[in-house]
Amino acid sequence: MTTAPHPVTDEVREPGPAGARSGERTITRARRGIPWGRILAWVVMVIFLLITLFPFYWMLRTALSSNTALATDPASLLPVGLNTGGFERVFGMQDVETAIAQGGSGASINFWRYLLNSVIVATTVTIVQTFSCAMAAYAFSRLRWRGRETVFLIFLGSLMIPQIFTLLPNFILIKNLGLVDTLLGIMLPTLFISSFAIFFLRQFFNNISREVEEAALIDGASKVRVFFTLVLPMSSAPLATLALLTYMTAWNEYFWSLMVSYTDQSRVLTVALGVFRAQAPGTGPDWSGLMAATLVAAAPMLILFALFAKKIVNSIGFSGIK
Amino acid sequence: MTTATTSTRSAPPRRRKKDDTKLALLFIAPATVGLLAFLVWPLLTGIYYSFTEYTTLTPPQWIGFENYQAMFADPVFWNSLKVTVLYVLINIGVQTAVALVIAVLMQRLTQSTLLRSLVLAPYLVSNVVAAIVFLWILDTQLGIFNIFLQWIGFDPIAFWANETWVIPTVALVNVWRHMGYTALLLFAGLQAIPGHLYEAARTEGAGEITLFRRITLPLLRPILALVLIMTIIGSFQVFDTISVTTQGGPADSSRVLQMYIYQNAFAEYEFGYASALSVALLVILMIVTFTQYWLTRAGQSDLD
Amino acid sequence: MSIKSTTTPHPARSGAVSRRRLLQGSAALAAGAAGAGTLSACGGAQAPAGATEIDYWLWDALQLPAYSAAIDRFMEHNPDVFVRITQLGWDDYWTKLTASFVAEAGPDAFADHLARFPEFVRLGVIAPLDGLGPLDEVPAERFQEGLQELWTGQDGKRYGIPKDYDTIAIMYDRNMLAEEGLSPEDLEGLDWNPQDGGTFEQLLARLTLDTEGRRGDQEGFDPTSIARYGLAADPGIDYTGQTSWSPFALSTGWTFTDEDTWGRSFNYDDDRFIDTMDWYFGLVDKGFFPAFGTFGDSSPSQAQLQSGASALATVGSWMITTFANMEGMDLGIANLPAGPVGTPVSMFNGLGDSISAQSDNKEEAARLIAFLASDEAQTIIGERAPFFPSTDAGTETAIASYAEAGLDVTPFTDRVANGETGLYPLVENSASISSIMQTAFDQCWMRQIDGADFASFNDRVNALFD
Repeated sequence: MTTAPHPVTDEVREPGPAGARSGERTITRARRGIPWGRILAWVVMVIFLLITLFPFYWMLRTALSSNTALATDPASLLPVGLNTGGFERVFGMQDVETAIAQGGSGASINFWRYLLNSVIVATTVTIVQTFSCAMAAYAFSRLRWRGRETVFLIFLGSLMIPQIFTLLPNFILIKNLGLVDTLLGIMLPTLFISSFAIFFLRQFFNNISREVEEAALIDGASKVRVFFTLVLPMSSAPLATLALLTYMTAWNEYFWSLMVSYTDQSRVLTVALGVFRAQAPGTGPDWSGLMAATLVAAAPMLILFALFAKKIVNSIGFSGIK
Repeated sequence: MTTATTSTRSAPPRRRKKDDTKLALLFIAPATVGLLAFLVWPLLTGIYYSFTEYTTLTPPQWIGFENYQAMFADPVFWNSLKVTVLYVLINIGVQTAVALVIAVLMQRLTQSTLLRSLVLAPYLVSNVVAAIVFLWILDTQLGIFNIFLQWIGFDPIAFWANETWVIPTVALVNVWRHMGYTALLLFAGLQAIPGHLYEAARTEGAGEITLFRRITLPLLRPILALVLIMTIIGSFQVFDTISVTTQGGPADSSRVLQMYIYQNAFAEYEFGYASALSVALLVILMIVTFTQYWLTRAGQSDLD
Repeated sequence: MSIKSTTTPHPARSGAVSRRRLLQGSAALAAGAAGAGTLSACGGAQAPAGATEIDYWLWDALQLPAYSAAIDRFMEHNPDVFVRITQLGWDDYWTKLTASFVAEAGPDAFADHLARFPEFVRLGVIAPLDGLGPLDEVPAERFQEGLQELWTGQDGKRYGIPKDYDTIAIMYDRNMLAEEGLSPEDLEGLDWNPQDGGTFEQLLARLTLDTEGRRGDQEGFDPTSIARYGLAADPGIDYTGQTSWSPFALSTGWTFTDEDTWGRSFNYDDDRFIDTMDWYFGLVDKGFFPAFGTFGDSSPSQAQLQSGASALATVGSWMITTFANMEGMDLGIANLPAGPVGTPVSMFNGLGDSISAQSDNKEEAARLIAFLASDEAQTIIGERAPFFPSTDAGTETAIASYAEAGLDVTPFTDRVANGETGLYPLVENSASISSIMQTAFDQCWMRQIDGADFASFNDRVNALFD
């Protein structure tokens, strides 16, 4: 967390260094004969990957199982009583009688509506919040004004406020604004602010070469223009990373959305798919429906991730956070 | 953090050393509105409630420090604090160690984007669902993991119902969800370490372990500190996983502070007392965080 | 989850239908596609112009189809009222209800539980029902005896109209019983006492198997290594013991408190209770009952029966459908064993409909819940109910519809018909009692404390009422 100038702080560090490193590795390998160390390292890596991925396989296996048969063969690595009922329930394609008979609930699912709501919420929050926080981070990083550090500490301190404090007062506020059961009501508390985002971006802005900025300023550009034409484009990689994290957080938000949403018009996917959890004490969840729901709800994120993976993952390889 | 930004550098003569207050206020305005309305205001009302008898549904009545006195005399509070700290120690300890290993392996072994995406996958699953999945995988009788344990000759373990196991179990489930995310952040820090340092050390005959101890760890310290601060703040507020799996049992052995706060507020309608407990949590978080800041600053000299 | 009309008339609600559908994947798909059409059509149901819109909340998704059918009928009779139904799972339900009361954004009428309504009365958020709309014309006699009493406050006013009731019986897998060479008749006429467990404990021993295949009543049986427990364990053994120890304790003549309702002094220090605890959790030492933590939340008793890990289970009537649908199981239902009082005794509990004190439309809400208590509505509900509606008409319809599906549910309903019930403890401070007593039950199940040690917990509970 220093801001002392660092020699190489280019954001776009392309394959150069990586290539150099792999070259050097070849040499090391040649020198050592059988690379036991590397084999061991790969073994460790594969074990971690198995731990990471096994639960996903288990979700898929369960999602394709028959709910009412699951306990008959808990040790089976393949689906028990293979069927797609779980997925049908997620997409609201089963009638209530069938759903109940298969261990699902009697609630109806308007899947595409919820998906649309979730997309609207997560997209809006991501765009507005990232932009608002980028502006604030710029003010905390590059503008000179009195009280800057104090105000920044207040923002940082807000990271520590327990959720239980904010829940009820925020809900009352949303109610008084007449925003109960609206998507705006769900978005509003996180629409403009995430202290983490400000913190995160500020670290990057601190690192942008000051010379470039000063040069632009000497040329007569205003700081506003510097922000839009210089700082934002130069930070596109960390901004993309942050946007993805924000999107994931907004997408997975459950408790607050549950409070604000009353009907289908504002019901987001996470809340709607909550119906696959236990509805009454003792009944247990609709396992195959729940697991199918989880996979389906994560799918848009996976797609998004696949599309942007290269950019984002490499940008996390920023030379940035200091 | 950076107070020294402008003063330490030998910048070219600054002609535009004017004050940016107006612009700055404009730039922080949207975030500030959000901060005041949705964080600071609730915080202030919450602090006020902590001095009141407030049953959530009837108007609050001022009772001074009574909630705090009750809290200090409340064995359940002290127990929940102990349980929470134990949870944080295990969760953060294991998570940081594992994430560090993954990050170093990713850096030293492969540049595969696919691999990096895969390790982030658990973060796509919400806390609640991750808890439910593991509730089942780790079930004593029907859970696949216990079936596996029996297959290799161990007795099944009641992960969720054994007073000794329950907190480590919850902690490790959350490690599963966050380790990839943490690893990626640490990986970012590793990428920032100049490669020539490793080369230099290696020509002097240093092995991988020495490299890790002498170069990686010290130079990673600043980002490690940032990651620790963020993850510890999150870890202290653990709630979802426990609410879904054990509800604080067996016999209070997993009743973490947030769980106790929630039960007071929403099951027993003691919102005043719940607020006092929340203030305690806030104070603890502030002490932990600012101690970390202080320690980080002390260690900064390693970097430059 | 605003369902309006999901009421395509399906005569059957039986397990047989479900199994057939499962086998014929294509049929299920076709039915699913047909269902999707109706569902999406009603998703956006809007109140007709000029109608008063009221909100009705409930938590049990299995009850949703039955109630939405009845509510559809209500709206046919009352075109000036539009009811918006919201269903939320148990945990979320109470949290959201509390928050919405705080923000005055709650429902007009909602399904209520006995463990919650005393607090709502104390906090003044639910309205007394006397004098509201047609509710005065709904006499207590309309419901199974004692139900209305459960929903009456200490001020003598009604705060809920009973909507259903539940009792406890024994469930088992007929296939398992046949393999053991026993018949359903062997489960009838059993007796139980806290000293030697009576013929009921003998049956548990008979049905318990250790991993070497020895039965619990055979020489060399190893109680530390069990393949099948005689009695299944529900993970949630709480201060009411509703589906666990309460049938035994109540059948000794023990009662929870000093009064039938609104008691202020608990009897967890009574000898009959202490003996019952020592017997019930003592089964763990004998190997007939799972040790604490053997089965978690993810393997409730229906999973234990299905997987053959347990033989018998004490189960609540609201679980009949869930158990009946378990694949590979042929569900049998038997009476609870008769206790020292000479008969079986089941806990008797019921849900009620309450009206929010904040509602601007109490009149309309009252009309709704009065209708839900009518014979017309109770019959509609009884036809598709996975539970017993609160009136005689509703109960008879439900028994008949279960019989059609080949299930004899009289072991549940006979308890009420014969007056062999004990009321669910209707008391104040239930959340605090629950958290105090949970520790005691957990520790006794873990075999760390004895029944006699409950006395100190009882003191703490009773101190809440000082």
